[in-house]
Amino acid sequence: MSSELAAFRATLAQAIGEDHVLAAVESTAPYAVDGVCPALVLRPGTQDEVAQVVTACAAARVALVPWGGGTSMTAGNPPKRLDAVLSLERLDRVVEFDADNLCITVEAGLTLARLQALVAAKQEILPLDPPASDRVTLGGLVAANLSGPSRLLHGTARDWVLGLRVVLPSGEQIRCGGRVIKNVTGYDMNKLFIRSFGTLGVITEVTLKLLPMPETRASVLGLFPTLAAAKAVLEAVQASFLLPEAMDLLDPAAAGLLLPALGLASPTGHLLATAFSGSQATVDRQVRDLEALVAEQGGRGLTLREAASTQAWQAITNVLGSVPPASLRVLIQVSVPIGRTAGMLASVSARAAEQGLSAAVTCHAASGLLRAALLPAPELPADAALEALAAATLALRDEAVALGGSLTVQAGVPAFKARVDAWGTPGSGFATMRRIKDAFDPHGLCSPGRFLGGI
Amino acid sequence: MAQQAFVQSLRQIVGDANVLDSDVHLQLYQYDAYLEERRPDAVVFVHSTEEVARVVKVCHDYGVPFVPRGGGTNLSGGTIPFKGGVVLEMIRMNRLLEVDKANLRARVQPGMFNLELGNALAPLGYQYLPDPASQKAATLGGNVAENSGGPHCFKYGVTTNHVTGLTVVLSDGAVVTLGGEAPDEPGYDLTGVFVGSEGTFGVCTEVVVRIVRQAEGVKTMLAIYDSIEKGSETVSAIVAAGMVPATLEMMDQLVIQAVEKSLSCGLPLDCATVLIIEVDGLKDDLEAQTEAIERLCLAHGAREVRVAKNDAERALLWAGRRGAFGAVARLTPSYLVCDGTVPRTALPEVLRKVAEVGEKYDLRIPNVFHAGDGNLHPLILFDWRDAEQKERVMKAGMEILALCVQLGGTISGEHGVGLEKMDAMRLVLSEADIRCQLKLKQAFDPSDLANPGKIFPAPLEVAHVQ
Repeated sequence: MSSELAAFRATLAQAIGEDHVLAAVESTAPYAVDGVCPALVLRPGTQDEVAQVVTACAAARVALVPWGGGTSMTAGNPPKRLDAVLSLERLDRVVEFDADNLCITVEAGLTLARLQALVAAKQEILPLDPPASDRVTLGGLVAANLSGPSRLLHGTARDWVLGLRVVLPSGEQIRCGGRVIKNVTGYDMNKLFIRSFGTLGVITEVTLKLLPMPETRASVLGLFPTLAAAKAVLEAVQASFLLPEAMDLLDPAAAGLLLPALGLASPTGHLLATAFSGSQATVDRQVRDLEALVAEQGGRGLTLREAASTQAWQAITNVLGSVPPASLRVLIQVSVPIGRTAGMLASVSARAAEQGLSAAVTCHAASGLLRAALLPAPELPADAALEALAAATLALRDEAVALGGSLTVQAGVPAFKARVDAWGTPGSGFATMRRIKDAFDPHGLCSPGRFLGGI
Repeated sequence: MAQQAFVQSLRQIVGDANVLDSDVHLQLYQYDAYLEERRPDAVVFVHSTEEVARVVKVCHDYGVPFVPRGGGTNLSGGTIPFKGGVVLEMIRMNRLLEVDKANLRARVQPGMFNLELGNALAPLGYQYLPDPASQKAATLGGNVAENSGGPHCFKYGVTTNHVTGLTVVLSDGAVVTLGGEAPDEPGYDLTGVFVGSEGTFGVCTEVVVRIVRQAEGVKTMLAIYDSIEKGSETVSAIVAAGMVPATLEMMDQLVIQAVEKSLSCGLPLDCATVLIIEVDGLKDDLEAQTEAIERLCLAHGAREVRVAKNDAERALLWAGRRGAFGAVARLTPSYLVCDGTVPRTALPEVLRKVAEVGEKYDLRIPNVFHAGDGNLHPLILFDWRDAEQKERVMKAGMEILALCVQLGGTISGEHGVGLEKMDAMRLVLSEADIRCQLKLKQAFDPSDLANPGKIFPAPLEVAHVQ
């Protein structure tokens, strides 16, 4: 160990305690990002300690990646440098829960599931529901802009974050926003850090707006012989007054992974799952309307209420997690204008098939967001498999971009990421993004290289 | 002479008729709805993104500041050309470019009035949700610049929640597109930070907004109170009961009296306050929601609750609320609109303290505000010709903002910082917070030509010298 590194480690140990500076390879290996193992894993216990750690890293020019629940660490490009992982797992306290004002402030390492349990005790909810809510932390949710099915009615993190505390790459601590629901005190800095992917600093605290818990919830699942039939129902709902909380559409492969759990065993088809929440009267009416639409289009319907509905959505949200993990599996996320979602679902299957890949595709059908798992045939040699995965992904990216959307890689082996940039070609706003990054992180120490355009 | 060459370059781009630089014309562009004035050096009427880009490029080459201006309704001095230069008059870029029902988006030019967009969408069965009270005269470009709110923002969010894409001319004349129709564009959310940047990041020349189906049903009611305290308590009680009305608006007695004098909406003149409560959504439970709210209001001390029986009665209630700022102008030659925001449950306390501030400085302060959001609008009445009175007004305004911050709130909910609240920024932000915001400004506008001299307080060293 060089004397410089030893001095750096001594500074850190003094700041956060020796036990929380992990250097042994068996401790740091689980924190590898795209195969790059950090030399150190640092686990500060307070927001001030985070600031001390980042300050020390800045002084020593140590490149760091913030780590919440680790659920988004497979996304993005491999880091250009990774010296230290800054784990936020010990920052899991509630700072203030102001139930009367529908507002909660928590440390960034608290998991979404724990937050939901806390606020549910006061009959409130945070209407954000990305996959793996038992592992996703609030800081990670914000940094990676994670969302789930209910973004249809409720939007995403940018609609629910009222305030943030951030440790900038310099180690300086700042606050963005506050705890009131309207706030134009200077720039809307929250938006800068939401989906900044750990490249502008470390989010240490999140203040969120909450909603009163709805009186009831129900879902109508419709299994359709054709995509066209499912799409007809989707479009009828969009043209109606109905206000579904979520509408997810699964291709037969993704639906097939779910059906046993949902008691819709034998026939295959496209599954359109629609959730409603609100008062009993409005939910009942919407369920009736949707059941009628499903029947009209020749679908097999199944209505689930309360806990059964919630369980079904857990399974739907996490469906791609149940794709058998093969070594070369690629996960992609595709974004298109809302009305193009169902069409894009068909495209993903088609482009995969052209390359001899199998695919499971799911989408937030009325929100313009799709997710897919692409798998090569097991007998294919690795090089050919990677070529096929890359060809399908790039063809889909071209298609999405032509529609005004994008395609991002959520998971893939480094050899795949060497062929396909995780984010695609930046747009005309990139020069400004680059200037922002350089102003906030002049030495390129925060998650270098993982984001758009090499940021 | 540089000035002549500069103006000549502008004329070459937009034509002689679209550049104003006579004293009389410039005088018309030296003020907005705030209290300060500063004359621009030229006013340029622009008609396209390309024209804006060329005009801004010329400004950049000559080092001349520019300020985009829409309806000029800004309440914090956002459209006043504080450092002179060019006012870009955006009002002719007022076309609705596209209504894309399949993708639930509309593309609009920034000079279109908010209400015009609403009127264009209504016959198609769609709506754009943010609805600032000034929607008749406030443009969408201005709404973007200020991240405007409005009565319906309690349930539906503010402008930023409904803007998905922008075309922007940066201060070097570069045209960039940020966001668009599809969600979750990779990279930083520049659309999100541009909204609310008060013209200091560049000029927005096209906006992509989210549109939604009109609600199946709407019910509007008026709850009448003899105590302002009871009215504001009811607001929290409604939310605590798990209800999310579309609006929860409040007006106090002075405002009601002014509104009645100018608009005759049938509001009772002898009450302390009224709440305008609207619920919307599927018709199946609107009746039940209305009754539940009515019961809650009465249980919390309302003397009467009236439910609008038809569209005409509903429109009349809203005419009163939307006309409130205008009506209050009947009471005095001028007023300062405060825009502080507090957590909802602090409303009774903050209203009591605002009244104390009025007594302390011997000023009349009527209140009209978005109670559901905790967004106050105390209107401090005065006569601008009385310098001593104006000084008291500014002190009282600052004290009210400080009160809001002490109670966990902030200095501006929807009107922006502009020139008005620069000195109040330090009530909320640390020096590190301010430096961080300035970094963002410099990344967008390194030459500091886009609406300079706004938002940020003078650096501390300078402030100490004063």
